[in-house]
Amino acid sequence: MRAERFLQLNPFWVAVAIALFLLPLVTGGSYIISVMIFVAIYGVLALSMGALLEQAGLFSLAHPSWFGLGAYVAGILAVRDIAPPWLGIIIAAVFVGIVSYLLGVGLLRLQGYYLACATFALLLVVSIILGQWGEVTGGHEGLMGIPPLSIGGFEFSENIHYYYLSWALCLLCLWFLTNVMAGRTGRAIKSFRDSEVASQSVGVNIPRLKLQIFVLTAVMASLAGSVYCFYIRFTMPDIFTLTLLIELLTMIVLGGGKKVYGPLLGCLVVFWLREFIHMYLGDILPVLTAEVDAIFFGVIIIVILIYMPGGLTGWMEQAGNWGKKFYAGARKNK
Amino acid sequence: MRAPGKTNNAQDTRGGPPGTDGPLLAVSELSKDFGGIQALTKVDFRLEDERIVSIIGPNGAGKTTFINVITGRYAPKEGSVRFQGRDITGLPAHVIATRGIARTFQLEELFPTLSALENAMMGCHTKSRAGVLATGFRLKSARREEKEVAEKALKNLGRVGLEHRAHESVANLPLGERKLVGIARALGLEPSLLFLDEPAGGLAAHEVDKLSELIYGLADRNIKVAIVEHNMPFVMKISDRVTVLDKGAKIAEGLPDDVRNNEDVIRSYLGEDA
Repeated sequence: MRAERFLQLNPFWVAVAIALFLLPLVTGGSYIISVMIFVAIYGVLALSMGALLEQAGLFSLAHPSWFGLGAYVAGILAVRDIAPPWLGIIIAAVFVGIVSYLLGVGLLRLQGYYLACATFALLLVVSIILGQWGEVTGGHEGLMGIPPLSIGGFEFSENIHYYYLSWALCLLCLWFLTNVMAGRTGRAIKSFRDSEVASQSVGVNIPRLKLQIFVLTAVMASLAGSVYCFYIRFTMPDIFTLTLLIELLTMIVLGGGKKVYGPLLGCLVVFWLREFIHMYLGDILPVLTAEVDAIFFGVIIIVILIYMPGGLTGWMEQAGNWGKKFYAGARKNK
Repeated sequence: MRAPGKTNNAQDTRGGPPGTDGPLLAVSELSKDFGGIQALTKVDFRLEDERIVSIIGPNGAGKTTFINVITGRYAPKEGSVRFQGRDITGLPAHVIATRGIARTFQLEELFPTLSALENAMMGCHTKSRAGVLATGFRLKSARREEKEVAEKALKNLGRVGLEHRAHESVANLPLGERKLVGIARALGLEPSLLFLDEPAGGLAAHEVDKLSELIYGLADRNIKVAIVEHNMPFVMKISDRVTVLDKGAKIAEGLPDDVRNNEDVIRSYLGEDA
């Protein structure tokens, strides 16, 4: 019985983990590694936001704020030498957990667009606070002088350290979310997404469950934010606003949210597509700025929504079904 | 985030401890309105020795509202609902579900993205306890419980004769089978009272016969069944007692034969001139 095994490792994911582990040994340059660190960190964000939006059906747009708070709290504690970086990561996660819990109690009563509007306002408020509260956050110039992460005597000074750390976090979040969605809690989460009335009728405490998935995904975003701030060793309010939100939505739409891993796939594709565009179109379009990126993301979203509403994972599943049908048909004709 | 061991629905003691004497369900003077439209007016309803009862009435008589108010989807405007001697008036639906009242829906209200088995497993939600952390880290307790829930749900699907459909998406099942999945899901709550909202609606004659068998079987297992229904032959055959609602008020109650010959009932169904 499969349910008996602890890890229930799918051979595909084992292969992915091994490939990620071996990647730095195979590639010489640090370019691929540094892009892959971003893929992992943003992957955690995309995964957790995707679970909230697509699995739970809660259209919350506050994810960049949880990411930002995770980065700022850990960064400020480290810059002011209040707590060592590793402890700062935990304190930031607890802080974001408490803030998201308190806000969630009120906000999660809202449905659909109303929740989106309220959480979007939260996103703006958080970025304004981070920008204006200069003496604590460093203001619009950003928070400078963040030390590298160190645990015990070990200092995370090289890219490669952050590569392994960020991918460990990313795969852990993926594993955890996949388990949650496959088990009792995830089934209940999908049930209220499908029908709140029926879900209540079988005894699901919907407000409590919504709050749990909201806080869980916020804490994941905070962890990603803390790792991000120690890797970049700098944060500024502008990172955690609309641009990031649009990038995350692009990843979720592109990867497809029906599968938990969809947004991570979307994240991988978005980052490398952007790298290729910058690499190959850099000669033709010398001014590839954030605005040009935004156009590029906008076009991806529109094309995907029209031609691949299920995203890459949905499309792959469909292709798989066609393949099975074709195979079954071919066997019948023999 | 709560600790893995704690139950999702901690025993709610609102309304006092359960009693053993007295009627299973005692509804008194229940009223409900929707913005001035009176949906229920001072309805009294008791369920004691009867095994299977029905609530009938013309469209818009307030039958479904009656279920919705008792099971906590809507709070009543006035009146009280006592179940097993405890006051459950106005408690939220998910709390009432844990008390032993289950229901199905007129339009099934299944979870369309889940399989038949997963729908039935949702019925066992309150009988299991694994939380976010226990499922996320795949703790042994959560894995063992998941297996037990799957077995229990499969048994409940078997009771309605749908074991062979367990892994199909409910969206692909025909209407009759969707209604049965709804019953299997409700059975997961291990209810002592089961409300069925139009279980025979849209079913073919042979399916209705099978449904009757199933309902008799539930009654034999000590589950009292309250049915809201339009299919008169089905109701008259299966019920120990029939309650008639019209325009939100109870106009008749009694044995099926008495109700059938009641003049008020005939008038409400056929109009004033009859």
